[in-house]
Amino acid sequence: MALIEVSHLAKNFGSFHAVKDVSFHVNEGDVFGFLGPNGAGKSTTIRCLLSLIRPTDGEIKFFGKSLNQNRSEVLARVGCIIEKPDFYKYLSAQRNLEIFARISGKDITKRQIQEMIDFVGLNGREGDKVSGFSHGMKQRLGIAQTLLHNPDVIILDEPTTGLDPQGIIEVRNLILRLRDEQKKTVLLSSHQLSEIEIIANRMVIINQGRTIVEGDVHELLEKQSMNLEISVANPTVFEETIQRDFASLTARLVYKGTYHIEMEEDIRQPLIQRLVETGCGVKAVIPKRSLEDFFIKMTEK
Amino acid sequence: MMLWKNTINELLKIATKIRSYIGIGALTLLILIVLFAMKADGKSYIGFVTASFEQTLSFNGKILNGNLIAFIIMQMLIVHVPLLISLVTGDLLSGEEASGTIRMLATKPISRSGIVLSKWIAATIYTLIMTVWLGFLSLFVAKWMFGTGDLIVLNSNGLLIIPEADLAWRFALALLIAFLALWTVATLSLAFSAFAKNSVGPIVSTMSVIILFTIIGTLDVSVFDAIKPYMFTTHMAAWRSVFEDPFPLSAIWESVIILVAHIAVLLGITLIRFNKKDITS
Repeated sequence: MALIEVSHLAKNFGSFHAVKDVSFHVNEGDVFGFLGPNGAGKSTTIRCLLSLIRPTDGEIKFFGKSLNQNRSEVLARVGCIIEKPDFYKYLSAQRNLEIFARISGKDITKRQIQEMIDFVGLNGREGDKVSGFSHGMKQRLGIAQTLLHNPDVIILDEPTTGLDPQGIIEVRNLILRLRDEQKKTVLLSSHQLSEIEIIANRMVIINQGRTIVEGDVHELLEKQSMNLEISVANPTVFEETIQRDFASLTARLVYKGTYHIEMEEDIRQPLIQRLVETGCGVKAVIPKRSLEDFFIKMTEK
Repeated sequence: MMLWKNTINELLKIATKIRSYIGIGALTLLILIVLFAMKADGKSYIGFVTASFEQTLSFNGKILNGNLIAFIIMQMLIVHVPLLISLVTGDLLSGEEASGTIRMLATKPISRSGIVLSKWIAATIYTLIMTVWLGFLSLFVAKWMFGTGDLIVLNSNGLLIIPEADLAWRFALALLIAFLALWTVATLSLAFSAFAKNSVGPIVSTMSVIILFTIIGTLDVSVFDAIKPYMFTTHMAAWRSVFEDPFPLSAIWESVIILVAHIAVLLGITLIRFNKKDITS
């Protein structure tokens, strides 16, 4: 069942067409990657999904109902972080959560608020003013306010922006816990393609305000050509072999003795066999079929 | 229900912001300074005012009393209190925009109109508290310090003496009309707040409008005569009419209607603007 359906969404700011024609759907239980280069229209689309921005055209449905006609009902079942979560800095973390809980559309007890503070690892700091919080702590508090009312759909727009590696891992683990333990449906917009590759099962890529591709992450990646990273003991023999026997391929030197080669699936086996036969000393063959390559290919078109 | 819950939130935010106490603190300080000045040198101040009448009138009793001080304080401060109020009300929407919390607020299941109305109700309650505080300090503290007595009012028709027994309802009504004027200012700054991304703009704009309209109101130029009766600043001092005799009921009603109409129109503009606004911050 599709929990989010976006059909031919468009948004103009005066003469500027920020979103021209974006369509996708998010199924129940998906961790859905929402990708696109800077200026592709990701943030505008997400703001339209959350009724922060009024679309010029198109339709958005949550749970089979029009967002436009059922705004309050829909938003009561959605939790979100837009870029960085901003709080009332002069208030404590707990007071901030109380404020958002009060208008969440559900009755949330102080005990539930405390449980959520514990869930995101901010116990002991709930009484501190948010002005003293680090970016990572604010992000965790943002996740707490997102989950406070037990939403069915969670929308996270660049949740790892500005976080250090430790913070990125924490957010990733939190999303994985949401997926595995709480069976939440998550729409995740991120520049961290490796993150999306690890945690998303479906995705859409948009570019210049239009949907480029949508589908299952692994199915989409399998359709693209396979890249190999090959480490050899004898680079001279390796380069000669490639030039002589596989002239259509380009071997790009990554670092000493290690090459990156892009190729079609059917050439892989003969290439490895030939390299072994010529005695160039194959030390490692690592298949590389990354979302990053796929994303660049899609958005370059 | 959601409106009520968010109004509690808004009141909580106002109660925990330092700027909310700047207004109350400044008001308290100003009134205490006036009370101290009157205690120290009030007799010569009153003597200066009554000097021109002493040839024809003989004053018996205590002219410098709490009622007169309250009247003087209300006249002096009703000009400055709008600034103190707009410090808070001009920040209600624009402050959320500047801090980014508007994104969090507008993605909750409360309507945009609900957000505006809860902020407006909170602004109204804050304005009411400021007015009551103004009344308490100027009336009760002044009476406690200076005692009570008849009120001498000097207006364009001459000198009017209002008996003490006839003053309680007049002060209550005057404060009510003053509240209405300040409520108009609060709603004006909230309206400006819906157009701005920081709180400086709405506060400056509110004061600029008050100053501009006040200047237009005092200019003796016939071209402005048609609009003067409809400018809210013309009616901001309508509370003074309560201390006239005969009691100008129709003029007071007219002022009340114009101030209420301003509040309704300004609130309507705020609602339309905020409902149509794309939140891109």
